[in-house]
Amino acid sequence: MTIIMKKPLLSAAVLLLAAALCVVSLASDFRAMQEREPIYPGPGVTSVRMLSDWFPGIYGTPGDTEVYILEGKKPGSAMLVLGGTHANEPSGMLAATLLVENAQPEEGTLYVITHTNQTGFTCTDPQEAAPMRFTIDTPAGPRWFRYGSRASNPIYQWPDPEIYVHASSGQQLSGSETRNLNRAYPGRPDGTLTEKIAYAITELIRTEKIAVEVDLHEASPEYPTINAIVAHENAMGLASDSLINMQLEGMDISLEPSPKNLHGLSHREIGDFTDAYALLMETSNPAQGRLRGRTDEHLVVTGQDKFYLKAFGYGRLYVPYDENGHPISQRVARHVTGIAAFANSYTEMNLGGERGGINLGTLPGYEELESDIGPYLCPKA
Amino acid sequence: MLYLYLGIILFLLVLIVWNMMTEKNLMVQIDAALVIVPLVLRLLLIK
Repeated sequence: MTIIMKKPLLSAAVLLLAAALCVVSLASDFRAMQEREPIYPGPGVTSVRMLSDWFPGIYGTPGDTEVYILEGKKPGSAMLVLGGTHANEPSGMLAATLLVENAQPEEGTLYVITHTNQTGFTCTDPQEAAPMRFTIDTPAGPRWFRYGSRASNPIYQWPDPEIYVHASSGQQLSGSETRNLNRAYPGRPDGTLTEKIAYAITELIRTEKIAVEVDLHEASPEYPTINAIVAHENAMGLASDSLINMQLEGMDISLEPSPKNLHGLSHREIGDFTDAYALLMETSNPAQGRLRGRTDEHLVVTGQDKFYLKAFGYGRLYVPYDENGHPISQRVARHVTGIAAFANSYTEMNLGGERGGINLGTLPGYEELESDIGPYLCPKA
Repeated sequence: MLYLYLGIILFLLVLIVWNMMTEKNLMVQIDAALVIVPLVLRLLLIK
């Protein structure tokens, strides 16, 4: 089609102005993805450092992230909790945030990273139609949190190779796994951004002599390793004892050994390359499953999905599922209860010896959190 | 490498804007305006 303009300069100027408006609108929309939700450090937080303090190679990069340190009243062993390794598994980040805002350790030191792969919180996974954020109702009003991607933001690490070769083992995986932090351990100081983040965490564990490391995850209800602890062989005793205590609290959970031939995962490499007891927890998140229907905030928060209800009826799920779904309160409750149980078992089994135990103080119990996490995530003034 | 990349984008942008100013067909001008949007975002390293 041809429309000849008598005053082409005028139409060009109008179109340029329209293009400029589009640029401003799109740019501000895209920049908003970088906005971080506020975290309100509680009375137990004694200092906040950056992960780059343990590996300056990530200083000033989008991979740098806050490390919250909660020193107990009494010296003891150290524990590290990793939330937000995968930003599309929100209960890990929420459980870590809840610890930062509520825990007051009595003995030992608790290190918490709420956004372990910070760049994953600045984008969502392509073709998943996932929401950018979700809201938790608290007594002080709604509070928003970011829902992100399983992998590092490709803006900061691109292109992916055809095949991802894990550096220390030579294991080959799909190219997209090159941006998966939980396939990058123990990391490399001269590797990709994701490998550098993994290396910084490994350095933190070595330098601070972390005794227990817990990586918080979620998986889809049709995935076999779910509502489970995955433990390195060195940590099986600790995990077994903790599991009994969790079950006594009314929480159904299983224990899986860390596969020896699957490399790059925290429970394998941190157990192999450091002295820490390496543990990982999985809860059930229908919002990341393959069988889900509409993917929105409601699904993220309630875990209610009619297609998963059908799938359960056909016996396709590894966890019980009814019309109540798998609410995020329940998933956070599982993580927090697990962390408390690991600390208690570590102390009861005297695994710290002369260094002492880990006592995280009084944390809300499983049933209390399962009914509502809102009161423990109140925005502070 | 980054500056070479930015230089190519800037060169393309100048050509497209020049073409837009001198073109009399409105449809071609609209095409040019559409192409300008992603190029400016890349030039600013935003998207």
